Amino acid sequence: MNRQPLLPARRARLCRGASLSFILSLPLFASMASASCPGADSAALGWLNRMSHSLHEVSYHGVVTLQRGGDMQVMQVSHAVEGDSSSESMTRLTGQGAQVERRDHPLHCVHPGTRLLQVGAGLQAGDCGIADHYRFKVDEGGRVAGRKAVRILIEPLDMYRFGYVMELDRETGLLLKTQTIGRGDKVLEQFQFASLSYQTREPAPAEVSLVHQAQHPHPATVVSAPATAPWQVNWLPGGFTATDAPSGAAARRSYTDGLAVFSVFLEELGRDIRPGEGVVRSGGTTSYTRGMDLTGQAVLITVIGEVPVNTARMVADSVAWTN
Amino acid sequence: MSERMRESLSALLDDEANELEVQRVLGQVQDDEQLRQTWVRYNLARDALSGHPLHAAKVDISGSVRAALAAESAAAAGGWKQRVLRPVASLAVAASVAATVVIGGQQLADIGADPYGQGGQAVAASASPVGLVNSLGATSVQASYGNRAVPVLQPATHTAYRELARLRMNKYMQEHVEHAALNTPQGLIPFARVPEIRE
Repeated sequence: MNRQPLLPARRARLCRGASLSFILSLPLFASMASASCPGADSAALGWLNRMSHSLHEVSYHGVVTLQRGGDMQVMQVSHAVEGDSSSESMTRLTGQGAQVERRDHPLHCVHPGTRLLQVGAGLQAGDCGIADHYRFKVDEGGRVAGRKAVRILIEPLDMYRFGYVMELDRETGLLLKTQTIGRGDKVLEQFQFASLSYQTREPAPAEVSLVHQAQHPHPATVVSAPATAPWQVNWLPGGFTATDAPSGAAARRSYTDGLAVFSVFLEELGRDIRPGEGVVRSGGTTSYTRGMDLTGQAVLITVIGEVPVNTARMVADSVAWTN
Repeated sequence: MSERMRESLSALLDDEANELEVQRVLGQVQDDEQLRQTWVRYNLARDALSGHPLHAAKVDISGSVRAALAAESAAAAGGWKQRVLRPVASLAVAASVAATVVIGGQQLADIGADPYGQGGQAVAASASPVGLVNSLGATSVQASYGNRAVPVLQPATHTAYRELARLRMNKYMQEHVEHAALNTPQGLIPFARVPEIRE
């Protein structure tokens, strides 16, 4: 218990590193941007920016539903800001009695995905950022969890990502509802608050049998344990950037464009595998597994994330050993 | 090019096209220069991104498709019997268009056997998650999304890989979600996607 105060301090130091390395990568990004931004809508991007702040800086608790096909899960979420750090938790109310929590997350610790949503200043400098890859539009929203909402329509500008319809609280900018939209305007997955309160008082605790402390991977963490020979991903859809900085020999890489995340896993196999591929989808998540020979070594590559299967396949196809 | 056509093309790329969409592309590819150009552009962009030599993408697919279409119209003009058989022929050509489209202008290859034993209907029915399709009356092509040939699958391997993909999804979902929880605007909510949260 007395070790607890140490943790936030260490994380805070690491997080500064995270922000710094991201800023360093910005000039390259800006030089690639075109003069006009196809998907830029200042009102919508303003809301996006607000949303990215409210997620971390507002205290709330409520009940959220996740719908995927005919399946619905219900969970209790809470987010409390105290001083310069926040604590949050998610408790499953249906199915598995599990809780996930993240304690003492420094407010200044901004991860790459969140940073990508804050395009305001860069836009004037000709850096479109996320507006290079999605078209944003503000629409009249309905009511979600009893709150008046503003609706943001987010349409992908290429075929490597999904679209989204997001509804934000008009007063606080908090994200109340997310629909992931696949091809043919099909809703693949939907998160939605069923009830919401901005009181800081915690709701009555639900019975749980397992508590998981969420990990804190970010660009300043270097995973050192070598799991495989050094490998790299040679192709990414535009706008995707690494979420952390694993070593070349780590078994996983993860990437985000601010709205979607996908991860690539590589396993070295002890014996040959009959080449092939398999796909499983669950809501907005695609899991694509490919077995093949990578210059003499049998490997299994899995791409898992909220992207279309074609994107996952192309990413898997670009995996190569680092020479 | 209409939004709907763009969507149909995208569906073909994702291997999700239904028969109607395949036919929509089929109906237009013959006289739509812009449609063909769009494909060349998609392929160029993809090749450039994946660091492939650009010349590979410059293969114009339209010639073989037009030839297939011509063969089909000739057959259709032949009499009532051919007219009755026409839908089947359409599917075969549709499959070849889909395959040509999926291929991204690369790796033209002559493939003998149909891996699924379903003839040209494999693509029209979206039965193939693997980019390998065969066609009737048109050039057989091998579809790939990159510089490696997509593996040929036996039906048993196909089932095994699907199961493998499911197992890997369960295995890796939580590690993936740790990143989604910090880099998407939903906070911890993506953890609800994990089938069984582990400590």
